[in-house]
Amino acid sequence: MSLALDVATTAGMLFVVAMGLLVVFGVLKIINFAHGAFLTLGAYAGLVTTGLALSPWLSWPLAFLVGAVAGLLVERLIVRPLYARPLDAILATWGLGIVISQIITLVFGREVQFAASPLTGTVAILGETYSAYRLALLAVAVVLGLAFSGLIEGTRLGLSARAVIMNEDLARGLGIDTSRVRLLTFVIGCGLAALAGALITPLSSVDPNMGVPWLINAFMLVMVAGSSFASLALAALILGGAQVVVSSYLSPILGGMTIVVMAALVLRLRPAGFGRD
Amino acid sequence: MTDPRAAVRGPLRGTGGLAVGLAVAAVLVAAGPFILDTYLVNILVRAFLYALVAMTVDILWGYTGILTFGQAAFFGIGAYAAALVFTHLGFTPATIGLALTLSLAAPAVAGLVVGWLSFYPGSTPLYASVVSLAFPIVVTQVIFSGGTFTGSSSGLVGYPVFDLSVEAWFWIVGAVLVAAAGLGYVFVHSEMARTLIAIRDNEARCSYLGIDAPRLKILLTAALAAVAGLAGFGYANYSGVVAPEIAGFVFGTVLVIYVALGGRATLVGPLIGTILIDTLSAYLSGDLPYVWQLVVGLVFIVVIVALPNGFAPLIARAWRRLAPRRRHGDRPAVRIVRAESATAVPPSATLEIVGVAKSFGSLKVLEDIHLSIVDGELVSLVGPNGAGKTTLMRCISDGRERSGGLVRVNGTDIAGLPPHRVVGLGLGRKFQTAGIFESLTVAECLRMARLSAQAPSFLHPIDAVTLPEAARAVVETTGLADALALAAKALSHGQKQALELAMVLALEPRIVLLDEPTAGLTKAERTRIGGILTELAARHRLAVILVEHDLDFVREISSRVVVLHQGRIVLDGTVDEVVGSELVRTIYAGAGHG
Repeated sequence: MSLALDVATTAGMLFVVAMGLLVVFGVLKIINFAHGAFLTLGAYAGLVTTGLALSPWLSWPLAFLVGAVAGLLVERLIVRPLYARPLDAILATWGLGIVISQIITLVFGREVQFAASPLTGTVAILGETYSAYRLALLAVAVVLGLAFSGLIEGTRLGLSARAVIMNEDLARGLGIDTSRVRLLTFVIGCGLAALAGALITPLSSVDPNMGVPWLINAFMLVMVAGSSFASLALAALILGGAQVVVSSYLSPILGGMTIVVMAALVLRLRPAGFGRD
Repeated sequence: MTDPRAAVRGPLRGTGGLAVGLAVAAVLVAAGPFILDTYLVNILVRAFLYALVAMTVDILWGYTGILTFGQAAFFGIGAYAAALVFTHLGFTPATIGLALTLSLAAPAVAGLVVGWLSFYPGSTPLYASVVSLAFPIVVTQVIFSGGTFTGSSSGLVGYPVFDLSVEAWFWIVGAVLVAAAGLGYVFVHSEMARTLIAIRDNEARCSYLGIDAPRLKILLTAALAAVAGLAGFGYANYSGVVAPEIAGFVFGTVLVIYVALGGRATLVGPLIGTILIDTLSAYLSGDLPYVWQLVVGLVFIVVIVALPNGFAPLIARAWRRLAPRRRHGDRPAVRIVRAESATAVPPSATLEIVGVAKSFGSLKVLEDIHLSIVDGELVSLVGPNGAGKTTLMRCISDGRERSGGLVRVNGTDIAGLPPHRVVGLGLGRKFQTAGIFESLTVAECLRMARLSAQAPSFLHPIDAVTLPEAARAVVETTGLADALALAAKALSHGQKQALELAMVLALEPRIVLLDEPTAGLTKAERTRIGGILTELAARHRLAVILVEHDLDFVREISSRVVVLHQGRIVLDGTVDEVVGSELVRTIYAGAGHG
């Protein structure tokens, strides 16, 4: 039973972490390799909240805000010229990731630190005592997933974003300000990345390079998922579930590469991944 | 230049600069230990090894367009192969031989696997990057899980190695690097490197020129993996320690950064870039560890965004301003050579299409297409937009496209064959928008169409193109003959169309598919192309299939017209039968629905 809970909550964590990357990739067709660094930024926002003795709940909106503002600057300065050069966009954002993590190191030091958790203790569920925060995180993942798929499917911004995905020239011809749609999308993606950082910190430690392994897993999940939240959820559940199973029954080291290997194989056999063609 | 025998095909022709460069580099390597202090010599040996790996990254990424983070893993495999042999089997001449063999063979085999995963017909560049990212992660995890055998996270240290001074290492590794750079220079100017660039520019066009691009990329990955493995062998012996980080993807990204800063697709740029940055890092990361990495990160972003070709072109431009010399000296003039036709009477050509269908889900784009064409015919395929003309062309030229039915090219069923195999059966296809290679010259584009007739050389640059008569006629009558040394991207729209037609004809196909070859051409160009096409059918006895909208043009040149409407053939007859038909008028008037 506890395995099922581990699978569900791990999938929830992976989903939350990959959401921002999915938003950016889905609309802009570029990979934000600074995603891990934005996640780290959010984690340090959580740390600052703890340091100022503010309510740990505040770390969530604060992280989103920090990520969104940083994303605004980055889109204007770095990403905008690279929409037509997707491989170069990967590299430039990777460089940005290096810069952000060095700045964090200079400001906060390179040592491992811990942020306070808004929820502690355990709850009894399905005959198990299980971490309350992990369960809360799963709920947050579901809520965020529904909210953002609602945003994409039900609002004007979402409609514009989908128009940009399908045919940018036509969208521009119809009077959609595509560069604003791109900016907003990137800002939301970065905000979500930072929010994910704040969400996961109570379960892990905080250090300037913590984002890299998350980036890799999120990248693989997004490659497999394409551009839909539903297929991202499916990918997080299947690949994340496999990771939990392999880590528990075989070895944690093999578990560490499960998502990566499975994603590469899934894409080899079915280039569209879990999405529709 | 007129006598083909007069031109000596030598790798060293026009490479005086290379000889000078190698001589300077050799002198620097020889003198290094006498001038530099031991610490710097020590740092440089490692930088030389990294530079060797960076060179492989440049060939993959700069020249072939494969953004790879995986070269570090091959380097790591080579290093670990040596360290493992020396740790567990001791240090004897036999184990040294074994270690060297494994350092080359293990990465090469891994390279074959990675290449096979990454490259298949229709694979995307992004997928190759995904695999190149996954691979080093797998390698480091395997090292971690190896326990005491691989030393896990602390790596292997204290195994016996060659008892050589730092100076001796400097000379050995320096000499290997200079030799590798010389070979690399010859390679990147060779016909093979032009082929890789062609694949980078337009892989689809390559496969329709009969080039098996995925296979070439797999072999390239394996070969360059072995080179990276050789550097790893040197590293394991020189440093006496191997750790999982050297196989990791972060080191893979560092190599890409070195190449980007030095200047991708310049070979020398990445070499110098790696040596400079790695040496500077060794000095500065001690004093200003985070600030230095911050600076590298910032410069990297600026280079990618604003200077995609790195610093090398800037320096080269400055150098040229200081020391002006002849501009076109480095590109040898290319001659057109007459291809000997094998037989006086060309073999017959047949294209049989039996019950071909194509559907996307429930949408039927083509249904029950029966068509049979022989040599000497010029068949025009007409029909309104969306009738399925281009789809039919695709089904004929790519065996994996159709959903049902049978296509036989010159008697052979194309079953599930990819385009390059269908081309091998004697079929050539010209696309609607001219598929040429932007980074190549006109002559080089033409050479790409002759690779199956004459395999590309690894040493010689492109200095002659053998063209069969039909292709030569196109080149000569359209003015391309005077533009051979021109970059293909500088051609006019009409010339690009003519170049692609010449490329297709250079394949010596027996059947040619042409998708609107005259779209966007002037009246004069159109007449010229029309003349060439009728000549192809009448004199060269090709089977020509033409998709065309201009009914006047169709009337002038066709021997037969096939009308396609809503995915079906509605008429198949002579020009007079079809043009005079009431049905065609209705279809084109748009009243044919329902």
